[in-house]
Amino acid sequence: MPHQRFPKVEILSIQPHEIQFLLSDTDTSMANALRRIMIAEVPTLAIDLVEFHENTTVLNDEYIAHRLGLIPIKYTPPDSMGGGDCNGAFLPHRECVCYERCPRCCVEFELDVNFDATIRERQVPEHERCLPFTITSADLRSSNDLVQPAHFLSLEEEGASHDQGISIVKIGPGQHLKLKAIARMGISKEHAKWSPVAVATYRFYPIININEEACSTLTQEQKQQLVDVCPDRILEIDAVSGKIVVSEHAWETATFTEDLKITQSAMKKRPEDDDFITVEHSTDRFIFSVEGTGAMDAEEIVMSSLRVLKDRLHYLGNMIEALKESGM
Amino acid sequence: MNAPERALSFLLDEDSNEQKITYSADTKVSNAGTFTINKEDHTVANLLRMQLLRDPSVRFVGYIHPHPLIHRIDLKIQTASSTVAPIDVLQSATEDLAGETDHLITQMTEAINKWKKENQSGIGQFN
Repeated sequence: MPHQRFPKVEILSIQPHEIQFLLSDTDTSMANALRRIMIAEVPTLAIDLVEFHENTTVLNDEYIAHRLGLIPIKYTPPDSMGGGDCNGAFLPHRECVCYERCPRCCVEFELDVNFDATIRERQVPEHERCLPFTITSADLRSSNDLVQPAHFLSLEEEGASHDQGISIVKIGPGQHLKLKAIARMGISKEHAKWSPVAVATYRFYPIININEEACSTLTQEQKQQLVDVCPDRILEIDAVSGKIVVSEHAWETATFTEDLKITQSAMKKRPEDDDFITVEHSTDRFIFSVEGTGAMDAEEIVMSSLRVLKDRLHYLGNMIEALKESGM
Repeated sequence: MNAPERALSFLLDEDSNEQKITYSADTKVSNAGTFTINKEDHTVANLLRMQLLRDPSVRFVGYIHPHPLIHRIDLKIQTASSTVAPIDVLQSATEDLAGETDHLITQMTEAINKWKKENQSGIGQFN
């Protein structure tokens, strides 16, 4: 292919809920396209329809339905352990041939919590029997074992929490909540509940150039001043040679502030002289940081976004081919 | 009350027989035309535009996303000579981008597997 690029990827860290990687030899348009797809166009599962049978809680039906929709739903493929891509396992409900709903396009959840019955079950002591308790996402019973709500983001969060899952509503004596919720596959463009990420961002890799010749005209105090003025600590004085060098972790902490530039223009003998140190954005290297909501593992989100982009480009290629053949 | 259906921002309107992509040649400028791609936004448009800028047989390329509530983009392409039509350039740009994405998929899969092998051989077991 005439003008294809060959980007490179280097993983910095992977945790179930977060991935950081370095993407290089490609353009901002590709990095931005991936970011936009991760936020808006990666398909996930979320509760879309709720049928209420009983609701005597303090929150009204639509309030509870709204909260249910925002609960992240995790699909675990048969051969793996974490949240995976649901794109192949389910059909979008608009494309499904069934009349209304079927296991191919939907997952049903049931929730039935009655305050009085639960108090009896748990054998709560006499003096605590009127204290309210929380209905959480752990009370949702799924019809498909591979699909469960994502109760917590990580083991630490689970350990630190007092509840068993994401709280939906608190109920007190005499109150009863019974509903059936149907989860469907969708994308964030339709509603933000389908977004798999909490944050998906990238920043530019810094290119720090030290003009050795110009720096040698500075006094040691001036060099120290330049090192100290950077709030992101990207420069150091080398102990042996006394010269300004770029610090080890500069690429991680760089924030491209103006302090260095302002201090340098005060130090220069003439305004049109070259800068001693320049910090620029790289135009082809990006540091991505993607944090999920618990519905999908972070690396699955990235892979899914790449597949969505590939399918989109193939689809467009086919449409262009059809346009060409039809003689425009 | 007047809000349009959210799904219309990415699904083609079947009732009006909306086409994904249409072309209209420019009457005043030679070797130029505008492609109207429906139900797309900056994600794909900017990607195509930057790829087309890298093609030396393209003299001019630009895109417009007229309004956030209007779900189409107009991509205007002018080629440098009449031997290459705008649609040919667009087709090769799309193929190049698809190839780049394919390459990225393999690179990403390899990088993830390599990192997992080197760092946390047990991480999969504690999910």
